[in-house]
Formats: sequence, structure tokens, C-alpha cells
Amino acid sequence: MIMSYVLAKAKNEEILKAGECGGAVTSIFKYLLDEGLVDGVLALRPCDDVYDGIPTFITNSEDLLGTAGSYHCAPTMVGDLIQKYFADKKVAVSVKPCDIRSIDELIKRHKINPDNIYTVGLNCGGTVSPVQARKMIDKFYEADPNDVVSEEIDKGQFIIELGDGSEEAVKIHVLEENGYGRRKNCQRCDVKIPRRANIACGNWGAEDGWTFIEINDDVGQELIDGAKNAGFIETKSPSDVAIEGRSKVENIMKKMSKKNQDASYPLVNESDEWNRCISCYACRDICPICWCYKNCELNKPYFKDEKNIPPSPIAFQGVRLSHMSFSCCDCGQCDDVCPMDIPVSLIFDKLQKKYCERTRYVAGVTTDSKPPLYSPDKVEL
Amino acid sequence: MSDDLKIVGLLCNWCCYGGADTAGTARMQYPPNVRIIRVMCSGRINPSMIFKAFEEGADGVFVGGCHIGDCHYDAGNYKWSRRSKIVEDILEEFGIEKERFRHEWISASEGEKFQRTMDEFHKTLSKLGPLEL
Repeated sequence: MIMSYVLAKAKNEEILKAGECGGAVTSIFKYLLDEGLVDGVLALRPCDDVYDGIPTFITNSEDLLGTAGSYHCAPTMVGDLIQKYFADKKVAVSVKPCDIRSIDELIKRHKINPDNIYTVGLNCGGTVSPVQARKMIDKFYEADPNDVVSEEIDKGQFIIELGDGSEEAVKIHVLEENGYGRRKNCQRCDVKIPRRANIACGNWGAEDGWTFIEINDDVGQELIDGAKNAGFIETKSPSDVAIEGRSKVENIMKKMSKKNQDASYPLVNESDEWNRCISCYACRDICPICWCYKNCELNKPYFKDEKNIPPSPIAFQGVRLSHMSFSCCDCGQCDDVCPMDIPVSLIFDKLQKKYCERTRYVAGVTTDSKPPLYSPDKVEL
Repeated sequence: MSDDLKIVGLLCNWCCYGGADTAGTARMQYPPNVRIIRVMCSGRINPSMIFKAFEEGADGVFVGGCHIGDCHYDAGNYKWSRRSKIVEDILEEFGIEKERFRHEWISASEGEKFQRTMDEFHKTLSKLGPLEL
């Protein structure tokens, strides 16, 4: 199917006010819940403050308002959540590109039933770790991190809004030159629009108060038509200028990522960080692609090595690399959970890129096939 | 020194293991450093087996399978051949020279090819010396 574009905004006044740029995403979720098309919606809701977004399963559409808005400081991952806890439910979920990539890889592994989920993609320029965000706001902004009521990334700036309604903005590249800003994996990520989701929403190219939606498949088309006919959203066609503006933003983002990709990919045996490993297995446990859990090969007696710390990297990360690096969606969760701050995702992403060079397979982006390693086809690389 | 080199050889039951047998019954001389492990198919070999071998002190790992098209299980050697590429990529990351890992298609009648391959592999490894991880 040829992808098509549409601009949408909420018809409900409350959602229009609470939501980011038109509240179309929240309205579509409301439509799905109210019409009984899904059992629940999995979306982010702030807990204590804007740095503390937690994935919440919402079954009552009145609670949806609490999830409206954007949360760049909550780098969560929903792929493994759906697989672990909502496998037997019909779920609608908002997804960043890395979320949908992990969901896609799990679908290929028959761990998620594609008929059971609606995916509403959110264009993503990157996320910021909550701890870093606080430090960065403390250092580069005049505001107190605790006063921030919302944040937004727009036109290359990280913008914060304070309790009294004032706004402050700092250019992201300034932040990143100083070691702050977006997470490292986000800086090198070149999938900015989640085209494997049913629809991909965002404000790039959109006029104020509207959400720009790219419809990626038939289900996405049904979603938009359904929500429109049921009176949840109003839509209009975007102008050519808007479409061009959007792809311009995407291309600039991609170009920036490519630059960051070239920058730094050290070999494992050349980087000291790996000596810090304490064999806690947190990187494996958090990985959305690793789904074997108790059956993990690393738990087998012939690989379980409790005496040697740090473990021999090849018998620990080497094994994991061979299991899933070709499907790494570079979500950076392993970096985030590592108690010793080892940049784990770097090597997995690097191997995925190498694998991509050989096979043209990009995890969670390539549509038609399983990872070539799993394929029964009689082809050599 | 080079007599101490340890080579782990993972050979497929139907072809390469037969090839090693042929070399043996014909009394062809090849370096005794190779410890042969018979597997039913090269498609059964996981990358982690290679890594385990290196971690346990192997200086080189050799994998032998049937020629493409001859697999007893139809497509096992295709699977191995794709897997071997990712093994090469990963070994490079951990500072293990790619010459320490070799794979070859050897049929049951190719005793001579087995002998030649072992000779070559042993020579390569002798030049590289023992592996230090």
C-alpha cells in the first residue's frame, strides 16, 4: 500500500488542551477504548514529575488525559512489556521507533501476535535520561529542575516550560557537545519515524495545533477513518509544503545521526569499560529482544561462571551478541540499567550495522523477512 | 612451541568426519594438534560453541561441513555458512584474529583435502602463536 499523509486534531476540547500538537494520539486511543476495539491502552504517564514517566495500562478512557503530552525524559521500552504481560490481550500502544522495532522483532519470533496490537507511532528525535536531564537543566538553564512542568524537543532545541508559564530553550548540539543532551544511542539512531507502526504521528511539518500523521498500512487507514467517523478527530490533507517540511526535518536528523555513527565504535578488547562488568545480567534481562529468560544459554552450567569477575567478555557478551545482535534495535536499555555504566549498546549496535552491511537487514525496519540467520532459505551471505 | 597448539575441530558426521576418516585409513600425515568433535551437521554448530572453545584455551577452531548442495539434512550447511559470518564479525571485536577461525567444505572422499587443510591451518596458527585472551 502507498503511504498517505493526513493532518488531524482532537475534537474534544479537554484533549486538545492537554495533548501535544492537536491531541490526535490521545483521541485515537480514546476512540479505540470507547468503541471496545481494545482491552486497554499502554501509554506513558508521569508519576512524580516530568522526569518520571511510567508505562501504564489504561482501561478507562477517562484516565487517558493523564497520558497526554510528550515525555522525552522517560526512556522506556514497551516491546518486552507487551510480550510478558499483555500477550493475550488486545492492546493499543504508543511507540517510539525503537519500541516498534523491538515489537517487530518479537512478532518475527512469534512472541507477539500482530493481530492483537494497534501501534500508534510517535516520531522521535531522541530521549534524555532523567538523571542527565535534571543535571543538564540545573547547569544550562536558569530554572530549577523541580519547576519544570513540561518539556519539548523542537527545531533542534530542548525546550522546558516552567510552572509560571515561561519557557527556556537551549540548542541540543550545545548540550551534546558538553556531554549532556540526548542519550548516546539516540544520538546515533537513524530511524526517526516509526514506519512499521500502523500510523506515525508527530509535529514535524504540521501547522500549530495539528498532528501530522503518516498512515503506514491498512489497519492505520481503518484507525483514522474510524476515529474520524466516530467524531473523535477531525482531519484535513497536509499541503505539499508541510510534507516537504517534514521530510526535511527527518533528513536533517538522519544526517546528524550518521555523523555520530562515524564517530566512535571501539573494539571490545580495546575498551577498558568491560573490565568493570560484574556479571549481573541486567543487560540481558532488560533486553527487549532477549526473550528466553530461564532458558538463556548464559544460565547453562557450561557458561555460568560465578568465580571469574569480570567475566571473560567473549563467553558473556560474545554469546549474547551471537544470539541477538543482528536484531538489536539500539534502544539503549542495556546502557541505562548497567550498574557499572558500561556502554553495552555500542557494541550491539555496531554488530547490527556490520550485519546490515552484509545482508541489508535492519532490525525492526526490514519488512519482508526474518533475520537472515533464521531463514530456512538456501542462500549464502 | 607449535606442538602445543590446540585446535578444536567440529566436523559434520556425514562429510568432513568421513573425510578425516579417509585421511586416517589412508595413513595420511597431518598435525596431531586437532581435537575432533563430531557433530551431526554443521548447521548444528552455534557461535557460542566456537566462543567456548576459544575461552577454554583453543588456539584455533576449525569447522568442517558438507559441500553446498550435499547436506544430509538439505540446508544445514547454508545455515552454518551464514552463521559463520557473524562469528567472524564477533571474534574481531574480541581481538581474536580471524585466521584462528576457519571453515571448509570437505566431503567424505576428500581425505587429502582434510590433510591439506589441517596442514595449512596448523601453519597459520604456528605463525600466530598461542592465543592470549
